[in-house]
Amino acid sequence: MAELLLELGVAVAGIAVAGALATRVGLSVIPAYILVGVLLGPNAPTAILGLPVDFVSDGEVIAVLAELGVVFLLFFLGLEFSVEQLLRDRRKITTVGSVDFLVNFGIGAAIGLAFGWTLVETLFLAGIVYISSSAVVTKSLIETGWIANEESSPILGTLVFEDILIAVYLALLAAVTGGGGLREAAVSVGVAFLFLGGLSVVAWYGSAWFERLFTTGSDELFILRVVGLTTLVAGAALALGVSEAVAAFFLGTGLSQTTHVERIEHIVAPARDLFAAVFFFAIGLSTDITLLAGVAGLLAVAVVATTAGKLVSGTLSGRVYGLDQRRSLRVGLGLVPRGEFSLVIVALAASIGTGRLGSVLPAFTVGYVLVMSVVGSVLVDRADTITSAILPSSAEQ
Amino acid sequence: MTVYETDVPGVGKKFEVEIGGEERLVIVIHHDGKREVFHKSNPDADADRVFSLTGQRAREVGAILQGAYFQPVETDSVDVPLGDAIIEWIDVGDDSPLAGQTLADAQVRQQTGASIIAIQRDAETLPNPDADDTIAAGDILVTLGTRDEQSAVEGLVTPDDDG
Repeated sequence: MAELLLELGVAVAGIAVAGALATRVGLSVIPAYILVGVLLGPNAPTAILGLPVDFVSDGEVIAVLAELGVVFLLFFLGLEFSVEQLLRDRRKITTVGSVDFLVNFGIGAAIGLAFGWTLVETLFLAGIVYISSSAVVTKSLIETGWIANEESSPILGTLVFEDILIAVYLALLAAVTGGGGLREAAVSVGVAFLFLGGLSVVAWYGSAWFERLFTTGSDELFILRVVGLTTLVAGAALALGVSEAVAAFFLGTGLSQTTHVERIEHIVAPARDLFAAVFFFAIGLSTDITLLAGVAGLLAVAVVATTAGKLVSGTLSGRVYGLDQRRSLRVGLGLVPRGEFSLVIVALAASIGTGRLGSVLPAFTVGYVLVMSVVGSVLVDRADTITSAILPSSAEQ
Repeated sequence: MTVYETDVPGVGKKFEVEIGGEERLVIVIHHDGKREVFHKSNPDADADRVFSLTGQRAREVGAILQGAYFQPVETDSVDVPLGDAIIEWIDVGDDSPLAGQTLADAQVRQQTGASIIAIQRDAETLPNPDADDTIAAGDILVTLGTRDEQSAVEGLVTPDDDG
């Protein structure tokens, strides 16, 4: 017990230090959490200046906390899912979301096939490079003040569409890769959709019941109920071979129609932040960065192609919303960062662990997220310079 | 006045308010209660962040904007029990009928019931002014009286609109 507790202490303290350093230099915290995981984990580097730094093993305690991180990331995604906004702007959101998906998922699929990956590996790769980071993107929107400008509408609309798509995508992939042949895959897809269908019906019609279930004066009882129910639903899903993350997403959408949203934001969000930080750290723990050298070519191609992909799809999305060239380009710049959801996808890949899914893909994804979150921040910071360089004709404002 | 409301997932709500002409205010309310206020000179302009407030401060500023009575900061110097009376500081404008009159002429006490307990002139304060002290334009009268009496003083100091 002493050893476990000490390991966990080292882990969380390391995460805290990494987060503080990242914030000090103005970078996103997600790559910092991963890096400290790489550093303290069992893989290289195991020693710095002759002193051992492999303090934390990739054990069950951290694995469970990391799992809760995935569950709560997706739970909050569902909780904050704006059905109203989706319905109000459904045509525009569907258009920009489809453009975003076709361009970026297409580029990912093309890269995978060009490098001779199998179909399933390619599907994972395409998902990883397709999905933008909601956390990093909204944070940079706020920091730049773009949140108050017109370019925020297509950016947020795209994120809303990506949220739905990631839920469907994870559900499908989890079911398809459940093992066995075509027939077993078909059965598990069926089970998955029955379970998720049931859950979404409960979510949709159970609002009143949720409303009563979570009504309590005590914050302590409140957080216990929310965390208890979410973890229970996620665990039941996993036991049935359904994606626990998707189950949590549906539960979140069910709660999004109740009056408890604000309170969950206030009281449960810190728990989500803690678990999610451990999840990013755990990704770092399991990453073997020595594999990065082998995927350097793939990484370079992916970074260049998928940055360009988001710029193109974002610019088109801005046009759909009737924005001028300068603002449309900003939409593209704003959507470049990739982060937590790429890591959620790769966690699923690593849990399957066959072929490239268990080794090369995690290393690639960690490298990719590190590069893309930095590239994304730099692009947004330098947005005015970039837009005036690309659009010399644009009038000064 | 049109107000556009948008959900910002993971952040909170955004309100865009038309404030006359082309100008707009954009108010972002975060889940943690923080308010950020942006200003746009026209709908197409980039927004400038004007200020941000915590939830508590936002409510106080909101009350002032609403015109609700705002509790002044209690200073240690005002610990005199005054009953119903309050102390007010009243500016004497250039066109005030009292400008140029002595206190004896002005008969503020007789007409309103409030006393002038001091006159502030630039950096100087004249405490307990005598009956032959003159009120000048630009002075600040420090008056003591009930709320109704204070309103009456305001009425004397401000020029009559009906000429």
